[in-house]
Amino acid sequence: MAYYVDRNVKMTWWERSYIPAILGGMLITLRHFFKNLFGFVPFFLGQKKDREIFTVYYPEETMQFPIAYRGRPVLALNENNQPNCVACGLCEIACPAYCIDIVPGENSGKQNEMERFPIEFTIDYAVCIFCGFCEEACPEEAIYMSDQYDITMLDRKKMKYNMEQLLVPVSELKDRMEFCRNMYGKWNY
Amino acid sequence: MWIDLAITMVKIIFIVTITVGFFAPVLTWVERKQSAIMQDRIGANRADILGFTALGLFHILSDAIKMFTKEDFIPQGANRALHTMAPIIALTPAILTFAVIPFGGQYTLWGKDVNLVISDLDVGLLFVFAIASLATYGYVVAGWSSNNNWSLLGAMRTASQMISYEVTMGLTIIGVLMVYSSMQLTQIGAAQENFWRWGIFLQPLGFFMFFAASIAENKRIPFDAPEAESELVAGYFTEYSGLKFGMFFMAEFIEMVTIGAIVTILFFGAWHIPFLTTATLLSMFDFLGDSGANLVVMLIHIGVFFGKVTISIFVQMVIRWTLPRFRYDQIMKLGWKILLPLSLANVVVTGIVILALE
Repeated sequence: MAYYVDRNVKMTWWERSYIPAILGGMLITLRHFFKNLFGFVPFFLGQKKDREIFTVYYPEETMQFPIAYRGRPVLALNENNQPNCVACGLCEIACPAYCIDIVPGENSGKQNEMERFPIEFTIDYAVCIFCGFCEEACPEEAIYMSDQYDITMLDRKKMKYNMEQLLVPVSELKDRMEFCRNMYGKWNY
Repeated sequence: MWIDLAITMVKIIFIVTITVGFFAPVLTWVERKQSAIMQDRIGANRADILGFTALGLFHILSDAIKMFTKEDFIPQGANRALHTMAPIIALTPAILTFAVIPFGGQYTLWGKDVNLVISDLDVGLLFVFAIASLATYGYVVAGWSSNNNWSLLGAMRTASQMISYEVTMGLTIIGVLMVYSSMQLTQIGAAQENFWRWGIFLQPLGFFMFFAASIAENKRIPFDAPEAESELVAGYFTEYSGLKFGMFFMAEFIEMVTIGAIVTILFFGAWHIPFLTTATLLSMFDFLGDSGANLVVMLIHIGVFFGKVTISIFVQMVIRWTLPRFRYDQIMKLGWKILLPLSLANVVVTGIVILALE
């Protein structure tokens, strides 16, 4: 809603002296000061839930993100200790930043074995734009956006994660999986 | 004679320790932390020793190391001699004013009279203002010698602002001088033993004008046009780095302490506790003997004085982080058209009231 400031308002001389405005402003800052002095600065006294303001002591405290948050993409490791991925390459194609690199491998077709699997699966987080297209494209529920966002390295080459670093047990991704099934309608498969 | 010299040396060392060694560094931390807490931020808390941060107090140490090890840069075309001298000219008067500022009364310790002021000048108040105005040269020379447009503009603004507000300051303290009929800061302090004789009750308008004018003299935020980050980069000290920049900063913080001390002495009863005269205090510690009681009372008075100074600094900080900067013409208008006539009127009214009461 548009809000217009009436610039021709008539003020009394007491208001024109700006003293009430100055004192009011100082009261506001003082109120914040004392409230935070006892409720926020001694961080060991109260965790985030008990505080009125939502600033956090970042590395020591982290925020609980909503499930729709897109952090770094990870690979799901299923109950048989195998990646869900079948190396179809759809995420590689969907990726607008070309940060995913897959080297596929094939089995001879024996029973109880994955027919296709990734030999190498690399995501370059220095290139990744956290769009979530890979997650949307994946037909096998193999790649998911996690809630981790603090990927900082001193060396750019270390931002390239290989498969061992990417794999996350599927039990940790249950909520996101549920969300994606609703979001992208994957219960049809 | 040697004892007198020793006492004076102790007082000098105490004052230098508490201003340069305690207030100036701690205020750099206070300014960051207090502003952060006011604005719902966290503030300085990263510097640590073995994982122990002490709420960011170690930032003082890391700041000092940074200042000492930074490159001392002098721009091309700058006047090297003046550029080097300017921060010294700015910092020296700020420390020098403490020579006449009393931080306690007079006490008898083991047969020796101790007056808690380094030099008890008859014209102490005049001395403070005379020396404090010298700092302006430091700022103007800093801007002039830097060969930088921002610096020059900042220096010009400093000069005009200083001239404008020095007038108000000088006229405001005339009211105080008339009330206490003394220019000696120790006498003004001693005259405020009675709570209802404090300067804030006798000169309420004078206090507000003096406080506003002294914040303007210190170039802190509602009046920070000389350094205005958003307009002039950093004003007169744009071209300074390393410890020279640190000296300008230190001058600012020590001036805050000076303002706090002057305001405390002139308007808030100096070292006196409300409703508690020195005689009562002395009788309370009678069991320690004459000198012992005097010693305890002296320590209490020093503590009370610096407590009041700290409260004054806190108020200055709150003002600095609450109010937006005045426009340049507003500063001039406030100085010449509002504060100057008001301070003149204050002098006239004070004179009439004193005449009527006699």
